[in-house]
Amino acid sequence: MEKEIIAVSVFFVVYAFIVWDKVDKAIVAILGAASLMALGVLTQKEAILGIDFNTVGLLTGMMIIVGVCQKTGMFHYLAIKSAKFAKGEPWLILLYLAVITALFSAFLDAVTAVLLIAPITLLITDELKITPYPFLYSQILTSNIGGTATLVGDPPNVMIGSSQGFTFTDFVINVGPASVIILAATLAVFKIFYGKKLTVAEDVKKRIMQFREDDTITDSRLLKKCLAILFLVVMGFIFHNHLGLDIATIALAGAGITMLISGETVHHTMERVQWTTLFFFMGLFVIVHGLVETGVISALATKVVTLTGGEVSTTAYAILWLSGIASAFIDNIPFIATMIPLVDSMEPHMGGQVASLPVWWALSLGACLGGNGTLIGASPNVIVAGFASKSGSPIGFLKFMLFAFPLMLMSLLISHIYLYLRFL
Amino acid sequence: MNAASIMSTGIVTLTPDKTVGDVVKLFFEQRIRQVPVVNEENVVLGVITSRILLRTVLPGYIREGFLKDVRFAPELKQFVENMDALKDKPLSGFINKYKPASPDYAFVGPETSAMEIATLFVNTEIFVDRILVVDNKKRLLGIISPIDIFRNLWKESEKDSPEKD
Repeated sequence: MEKEIIAVSVFFVVYAFIVWDKVDKAIVAILGAASLMALGVLTQKEAILGIDFNTVGLLTGMMIIVGVCQKTGMFHYLAIKSAKFAKGEPWLILLYLAVITALFSAFLDAVTAVLLIAPITLLITDELKITPYPFLYSQILTSNIGGTATLVGDPPNVMIGSSQGFTFTDFVINVGPASVIILAATLAVFKIFYGKKLTVAEDVKKRIMQFREDDTITDSRLLKKCLAILFLVVMGFIFHNHLGLDIATIALAGAGITMLISGETVHHTMERVQWTTLFFFMGLFVIVHGLVETGVISALATKVVTLTGGEVSTTAYAILWLSGIASAFIDNIPFIATMIPLVDSMEPHMGGQVASLPVWWALSLGACLGGNGTLIGASPNVIVAGFASKSGSPIGFLKFMLFAFPLMLMSLLISHIYLYLRFL
Repeated sequence: MNAASIMSTGIVTLTPDKTVGDVVKLFFEQRIRQVPVVNEENVVLGVITSRILLRTVLPGYIREGFLKDVRFAPELKQFVENMDALKDKPLSGFINKYKPASPDYAFVGPETSAMEIATLFVNTEIFVDRILVVDNKKRLLGIISPIDIFRNLWKESEKDSPEKD
């Protein structure tokens, strides 16, 4: 009994500190995990078993690969190329950049996608002398929507896939279509709100045509190597179950090859790895493992099952809306880390893993899309907001929420209908 | 050799109520690249350099390093226009504005050794081409450039070398 109380208390204190947001999340997670061991809830051996190294490995590998590839200027190239393809027409630029952001987020990494696309966006809107906000908003939203579509796109999917052994194809087939529909619906709303408003004079459009996209490529030899590696890694993700390899193996192998042939010193490359993110994940896994080991999660699962009657459809809808709204306000990583063992414990009451599949897809859709509700809902939002305020065009929390929260609810509604038609 | 013995004195300073336009005029007229900003008690509040002014006319996303390279872009109209808007702004808005954690200048006490100052020039993480010498109340005493250290080292070595016949 005593251990359970400690595990729950540590969990809530950690959560409170994460919401308070004054101490770095990584420090909070590390101290939380260490206190579980110091207080005798977990041994170190048990704690390490709780860490999902498949998730950690995938994140590390992608940070290295994308970190080296971004140096080649390929992301800027695509952004400029698309703006010129749009012939300087603001609405089309918004549309193309939003779709590029979604694709990057689906196959590489949402945070890097917005970090690279958003500054170029500001440069383009400065050239056009128009407001950057619709552009930045659309990129925040589409980065999260794109990330929902694949196993590697958004950390909640990595965690769900890794814990349940779902493949890349499983995600593309089961949540991919919902993601595409939501992307189209979201962009349609942007078209209605901003399609007519975003207009510039013909001579201003010509300024966009003066961009020299070829000059964005800083290292064409490295670019060729990076394109080859990215192609192989994405192919590896798509066919990982046929290859009999887990995604972390593919990402880390790709990272190893990248470091071998990039010509950069390994210390320099390693500096691009966001160690704080990785330690945050590891610490959280340990803290949630404390709840699992002490039986708190299974007790909670029994309670939830009595509430929903163990019925798959009710549970799936409840999880979709609950995780969507929760993820808008709290970090979806600790939330999903807690929900995974919870849903796991509920499976036997819902007729086993196969019968419970819709619940997992509901969890994925809710946790990923919920991130769009507020400016703090997901990492890309926080990054674009920080970047915009440092650049002198701050995004207001309420102003963003007034526009994004209804759109997030719309995406949950679409997911609800999708789950109903497809699975329930 | 200590800071007091190698520093230059009689430095041109400005108070924070002066404008960017005043600084730019000083840069041109006095052929200097940086001006310490002091209050009425001669306490250093910051330093204005041409580099800081350049940073303010660049758009925020470039200044903050989000776009490190813009060779692919045509010149922004705003880049040229920004200077007009800056002219009448008081200096108080520019000192230590963008990097409060590591100010754009370095300072030492009058007793600091020349070797320590040379190390500061070489190893400091911020770009400084002058180091300020201040007393314990941060009042400005003098200013040191790398060439001041050299001049004194050179004098010493001339003194030490045996006279040739």
